[in-house]
Amino acid sequence: MTKYIIRRVIQAIPVLFGITVVVYAILLAAPGGPVQRFANNPRVTDTQRLAFIHRWGLDQPIPVQYCRWMGICNPDKDGLATFVSDQGLPNFLPTFLGGGDNGVLHGDLGVSIDTGQVVSDRIMASLLPTIILAGTALIVWVTFAILLGTLAALRPYSLFDQVLTIFTYVGFAMPTFWLGIMLIYTFSGPGLNILPAGGMTSPRISPPFGTNDYWAWFSAQPIKAILDLGRHLILPVTTLVVISIAGDSRFVRGSMMETLHMDYVRTAKAKGLKARTVTFKHAFRNAMLPFITNVALELPLLFTGAIVTETIFSWPGIGRLTIQSTNQFDYPMLMGILLIAAVATVFANLLADIAYAVVDPRIKY
Amino acid sequence: MQPYGEFEPARPAPLTEKVVEVAAIPVRQEEAGADYEVTLQSLNQWQLAWRKFKKHRLALIGLGILTCLLATAFVGPIVLPYDFASIPVPDQIVYQGRPPGLGHLFGETGGLQRDVLTLVVNGARLSLIIGFSSMMIGVFIGTIVGAIAGFLGGFLDNALMRIVDVMLSLPLLFVILVASRFFGNGSALLLILIFGFFSWMGVARLVRSLFLSLREQEFVEAARAVGVGNMRTIFRHILPNAVSPIVIVASLIMAGNIISEAFVSFLGFGVDSSTPTWGNILSNALTFIPLGNWWWPFFAGLAIILTVLSVNFIGDGLRDALDPRSRA
Repeated sequence: MTKYIIRRVIQAIPVLFGITVVVYAILLAAPGGPVQRFANNPRVTDTQRLAFIHRWGLDQPIPVQYCRWMGICNPDKDGLATFVSDQGLPNFLPTFLGGGDNGVLHGDLGVSIDTGQVVSDRIMASLLPTIILAGTALIVWVTFAILLGTLAALRPYSLFDQVLTIFTYVGFAMPTFWLGIMLIYTFSGPGLNILPAGGMTSPRISPPFGTNDYWAWFSAQPIKAILDLGRHLILPVTTLVVISIAGDSRFVRGSMMETLHMDYVRTAKAKGLKARTVTFKHAFRNAMLPFITNVALELPLLFTGAIVTETIFSWPGIGRLTIQSTNQFDYPMLMGILLIAAVATVFANLLADIAYAVVDPRIKY
Repeated sequence: MQPYGEFEPARPAPLTEKVVEVAAIPVRQEEAGADYEVTLQSLNQWQLAWRKFKKHRLALIGLGILTCLLATAFVGPIVLPYDFASIPVPDQIVYQGRPPGLGHLFGETGGLQRDVLTLVVNGARLSLIIGFSSMMIGVFIGTIVGAIAGFLGGFLDNALMRIVDVMLSLPLLFVILVASRFFGNGSALLLILIFGFFSWMGVARLVRSLFLSLREQEFVEAARAVGVGNMRTIFRHILPNAVSPIVIVASLIMAGNIISEAFVSFLGFGVDSSTPTWGNILSNALTFIPLGNWWWPFFAGLAIILTVLSVNFIGDGLRDALDPRSRA
């Protein structure tokens, strides 16, 4: 098992490398490049523009820039000397072995060209809201998919099953953001103003999320704080999970139906076990096996879903950071976000394989 | 006295007509030697597929809806009395817009008081064009890459498939979003190219797997034996056998690209926001929701759902119709 995990991680490295190359090329090969952010600003002179280009090393060839971003090249030198660190050793070595201290290889994601913040700090600050949102969404998604799918499988072609089928089709065809907008209108529009339209906290009773004041308030009144957060979570989570529930309840239904027709289920019924025991002890567990893999494979959807959901509901997470950075052509920030997302995806897939091996003793690696 | 004179049966007058018919029939009987004819109507692959497709009720409905949408998208702007870029009359402005009514079936937008129906109909044109053309580009690239990789194999196959692997492990919507911002410039043409460039990987994998099995079959060997070149073997002999799965995947890609376009435009990185597309309509409507204007975003979203639903249904129908294993 350990051997298998190590092999998988090693296999993931070239893919991660490829992903960063592709996206780096897209970000920097664009005509105009990141300087486009000044395109509509008449007060930025050409001299300032050139200074900006030079300061961020945008006048260097893209492979050199990528090499510096990765940490293989030393940013302070030119020509072939870039591969050598200040200590005179290859720059890609770890810092304590005489390598450089810049670039992804040394844990440095760079500095935002928009705000000047350290990229990793900014991402860390946005991570918690996204984890709260996506984590809740994940729980709701899995619960409802299993619940609805199993119910439909127990009574196939019933009215409930048919309604679920329609829901699946419509859910697949529905753009997430449209659902979000309509939810805002319904629950926080002028008619039925019962839920907040956006944000993580109510400004009247609570300090902004993530500040020290907030955590002080949180520890003083934890129940009130969690309830307030929960109220703000309802609409974004609903928006985020509907598509996943639509697809996966169908998946669970199919898997459950298949299992219910297996021979061992018939045997269990034949030897006189209660229907409930057969369904939930014998069939259900085995039907969940493919679903676990499926959920892990669809986890990245939460990330892309978060981009638009966080924008609609002004949720201060990674998604909104993505939009802000895209708007400002902030390529170091975007590369950082991409890297985090890609690594998370690789680990989600790995986790799926491990979980699969844990729940299914037949699988050996 | 004429015996039985009054009993003489009257000659039935209509008989003359029958005689004519009877005269006509023997001619045929002489020819065919049977009193019925059998016509053997041969159906080609597409006629057979259409016969099966017609049995899929939802797919037929989908085809109907999509045809109507296409018709409105291209004829509607000419028929509708309003302009999508109209300038409001200053003293008639209701800031949050007017709800659906007789004059404006889908209501009026907030702010610039434009007719929502006109916007949605005009938006349909660009949204459908972007969805369709980017799908075509994706299918084109994917087919060529997959065909080359599957037919030639070897190093080229390996290299191309590793590229596909990397592209498939990208968070696609994120990359499309960023690429639209960095390259797009609000132009529809560039957007089509970007969407097309990111939608070929699935097709490439599919075509490659089809080619791997097809290239081993006898008819390909026969073609080679008579000296047909690689290109001609690929495009004239193998590709026609791989068309049906490609068509099915193409329908899914188109549905996906229509949603992606709406997604990118909604976030403000798509086609220039003054041009109506479904995504832009939703994006512009966003600030007017809290004022109670539901009709502005509602109908644009409904149009997206209807289109994607019908494209998906058509895809389902095509799957049933083109799969030779399903006999209808």
